[in-house]
Amino acid sequence: MRAALRELALGARLAFSGGRGSWTRLLLTAVGVGLGVALLLVAASAPRMVDARDQRIAARADLPLDGGPRHAGPRTLLVADALTEFRDVDVRGRLVRAEGRQAPAPPGLDRLPRPGELFVSPALERLLRSDDGRLLRARLPEPIAGTIGDAGLEGPAELAFYLGSDRLAVRTAGGAVRRIDHFGDTGESEGLDTVLRTLAVVVLTALLLPVAVFIAAAVRFGGEVRDRRLAALRLLGADRRMTRRIAAGEALAAALIGLLVGALLFLLVRLLVERIELRGLSAFSADVAPSAPLAVAVLVGVPAAAVAVTLIALRNVVVEPLGLVRRAQPRRRRVWWRLVLPLLGVALLLPMALGRETTAASGRDLELAGGVVLVLVGVAALLPWAVEAVVHRLGGGGVAWQLATRRLQLDSGASARVVCGIAVAVAGAIALQTTFSAVEGHYVRDRGGEGVADVWQTLVRAPPGEGAERLDAALRGRDGVRSLETVEQLQADAGGGESVAIRVATCAQVRRQLRVDRCADGDSFLLDGASSVRAGARVRLDGEERWTIPSDARVVRLRRPPADQAAGAVASNPDPVVVTRGALGGMRPPTTAVVASVQLDRAAPDAVDQVRNAVWRLDPLASVYRMGGRDYAAQYANLRRALFIGAIAVLVLIGASMLVGALEQLRERRRPLAVLAAFGTPRSAVARSLLWQTAIPVVLGLALAIAAGLGLGALLLGMVGRPVGFDLGSVAGFAVAGCAVVLVVTAASLPALGRTMRPEGLRSE
Amino acid sequence: MSAAPLLTAEALHKSFGPTPALDGASIEVAAGEVVAVMGPSGSGKSTLLHCLAGIVRPDAGTVRYAGRDLTAADDVELSALRRGEFGFVFQFGQLVPELSCAENVALPLRLDGCSRRDAERRARNWLERLEVADLAGKTPGQVSGGQGQRVAVARALATEPRVLFADEPTGALDSLNGEHVMRLLSEAARDSGAAVVLVTHEPRVAAWSDREVVVRDGRTTATAPLTA
Repeated sequence: MRAALRELALGARLAFSGGRGSWTRLLLTAVGVGLGVALLLVAASAPRMVDARDQRIAARADLPLDGGPRHAGPRTLLVADALTEFRDVDVRGRLVRAEGRQAPAPPGLDRLPRPGELFVSPALERLLRSDDGRLLRARLPEPIAGTIGDAGLEGPAELAFYLGSDRLAVRTAGGAVRRIDHFGDTGESEGLDTVLRTLAVVVLTALLLPVAVFIAAAVRFGGEVRDRRLAALRLLGADRRMTRRIAAGEALAAALIGLLVGALLFLLVRLLVERIELRGLSAFSADVAPSAPLAVAVLVGVPAAAVAVTLIALRNVVVEPLGLVRRAQPRRRRVWWRLVLPLLGVALLLPMALGRETTAASGRDLELAGGVVLVLVGVAALLPWAVEAVVHRLGGGGVAWQLATRRLQLDSGASARVVCGIAVAVAGAIALQTTFSAVEGHYVRDRGGEGVADVWQTLVRAPPGEGAERLDAALRGRDGVRSLETVEQLQADAGGGESVAIRVATCAQVRRQLRVDRCADGDSFLLDGASSVRAGARVRLDGEERWTIPSDARVVRLRRPPADQAAGAVASNPDPVVVTRGALGGMRPPTTAVVASVQLDRAAPDAVDQVRNAVWRLDPLASVYRMGGRDYAAQYANLRRALFIGAIAVLVLIGASMLVGALEQLRERRRPLAVLAAFGTPRSAVARSLLWQTAIPVVLGLALAIAAGLGLGALLLGMVGRPVGFDLGSVAGFAVAGCAVVLVVTAASLPALGRTMRPEGLRSE
Repeated sequence: MSAAPLLTAEALHKSFGPTPALDGASIEVAAGEVVAVMGPSGSGKSTLLHCLAGIVRPDAGTVRYAGRDLTAADDVELSALRRGEFGFVFQFGQLVPELSCAENVALPLRLDGCSRRDAERRARNWLERLEVADLAGKTPGQVSGGQGQRVAVARALATEPRVLFADEPTGALDSLNGEHVMRLLSEAARDSGAAVVLVTHEPRVAAWSDREVVVRDGRTTATAPLTA
């Protein structure tokens, strides 16, 4: 035991001795392992980050499931959502009014704001005090009386405020204002939906597997030199077992330095994390802490993996006292077990893809992660076999091609192992891009296409009779408003919990927006495709008045709006009943809301925030939203961009390890290359052989990755219930990026090649 | 030497850093002549060979081959010359490990523009002449040192060079194998009419040459025609 420890220690000492070369190799390995460790520690912090965020969201929840206290009391307060957006970024607002002296303050506040006082999140405060936030400041002109502490925020980048109000009162209609006596016991959970859960699992898997591949490649840096050193030790009397332990000691030392580098990088990430925001999500530094078991797994697993990889690599090398003997005939790779992995993965994923589940379940996550891991690991396992199988069939070509293919035929394993990282990352990224683009396309289609792309809708609660005119006056003629339609909306109870919106329009509005051949006062219309109501059905209007949808109500379709008209005010898909005033038969139910559709000028980027400001003055509880739903497309586009950048970063990382491998190989082949130069081999021929030698495994890896990525993407689309369609643009993007990596690695090797092919290489004896 | 020399070097100087390797060395080699360059280790004999072959550019002095001044030629011209007119055999590590023996021999032919099929046919002929035809499909890692040297000689002669440069070609071989390689090398060179510049420190190897040039401290100090 003591001897073994002594040999491990000797290995560790050897890692540090040997001058600049040794230190360079140690540094490369440490940085490589460190990058991997930092990424793993960040990933290991993810559960805590999510938990902490969820707990804060739950603690500030103010939507009592039981309806809350019925009457005002010393501990009650009124709260209403004042959700708004500023330049497409969510702003979480609440209007609050204490009804009693002991009314609770929300988390993050030491007291409730008094009427007219504004408490804001630090991010919102920065925005409001900046020039960029001037437009938002017009919406929230109240004095800032304090800031919301971390305990009351999702994350450091969240824009949130509490505004004290003395006009807040419980309204019976719409339930916009709620009475509560405490925060936090209700389920305002914003857990990830199936789509996001699926994507998150695949993202983690697709990003972490290349990290593992990269760590494995990093601990092999300098392997050739180490093998030669071990041969020298064999000459001095070390037996095979001792050399293995010495090699393990070297790997362990490098991995431990890597752990240190990784820990420092992780601390750096922790310091900077509050500046990072992705899709409105951000994390506090304090939340970025790996859970203990995962941290231990990383801290123990990485050095253990480093030692294991080193020992496995040594299996193919016989270290003899007079030098190294590589096993001349490496065992042919078998395909059967490599195929089993992706097939098992598909077997796990296929039932979910066919079942089209829509609800999240933790068991499903495990199955999904397992399936994705098996498919992606299958890609990594298949690639060395595929490279070997293909390069053994390659022949012909010029000298450069021959040098490259023969080199790969001799040992394709090293190249294939490194390219595995690219293959896994690209396969995962293509699968995700496929899913993202389908989901993104779905949202674009939901919004109704191009005709309503610039149309925004607002729903303002207003007293009967005057709301429409006031809203019209507030918006008409404002900068950026190209057209405007305003109608009243009544809320009707169709029984069985069904609620129906009835919009009261003039015939002129009906003709503009519905496909009708005639319209007269007293007519009513049902939108084609609406299934919740039918002609002749009895509904209960606000104020408990009963009304029957006229039996002669005509089923009509929406007219595709001309480019210069706002669509949707009269009817949009969730609002199936459109009536003219006469159809109500003289009934004057209280108007619950006024709906305005506003078409904005694309050239006026702040027009929508001008509209929000105008609407805010009429009713802070009013919402202003893009026609047909929120513009998730932009958010998904951001996610896709982030994913593309992440995958490219992985490509760069792997490219770096390929470069290190190429440089090491050049050093190792110094003598034959110098001889090639001596008998007149043009440097360009050797450079082209380097290019082919890098390109062949990368092209094969990309081909396999694209096939696996598209297949996995199709399965994921099935899981999230979207039709299969492929984003060929991103596939082409990855192919181009892969080619760029090959070119850059080759170009970066050329100076070293030039040095290696100098005649000085012949003077080594 | 009655005929005009094929290769001449005059007053060559070459230093590597502060260490002088050649200090006024001169030599003449006639067509078809076998010249042994002898000297102790570190005397500058390999550097002289490298300068003669256009591998290393001397700091001063001139090298002429068939009337052309090699010291004025650029890298492309020198590479083309080495490819077409010269052949090389070194002590070790000269075969491309991933190529088979036949492909190694065919390599300079292919670099010179020969088709793959023709190059490999000619390579096999040369392997046969060097008595290693059975190694054609093997890689250098699968053959012995002596066999590898014979493959290297075949490769050096495959382009039918006018000058063959051999730097300690038997240095890594036992005496029996060394003799065998030298016999085949000199026979093949004489058959093809190539001049040979043979760097060695072994008199036994030098005995295969027509004359000796001795290099000491970077200077050629003696030239003795061998008559034995």
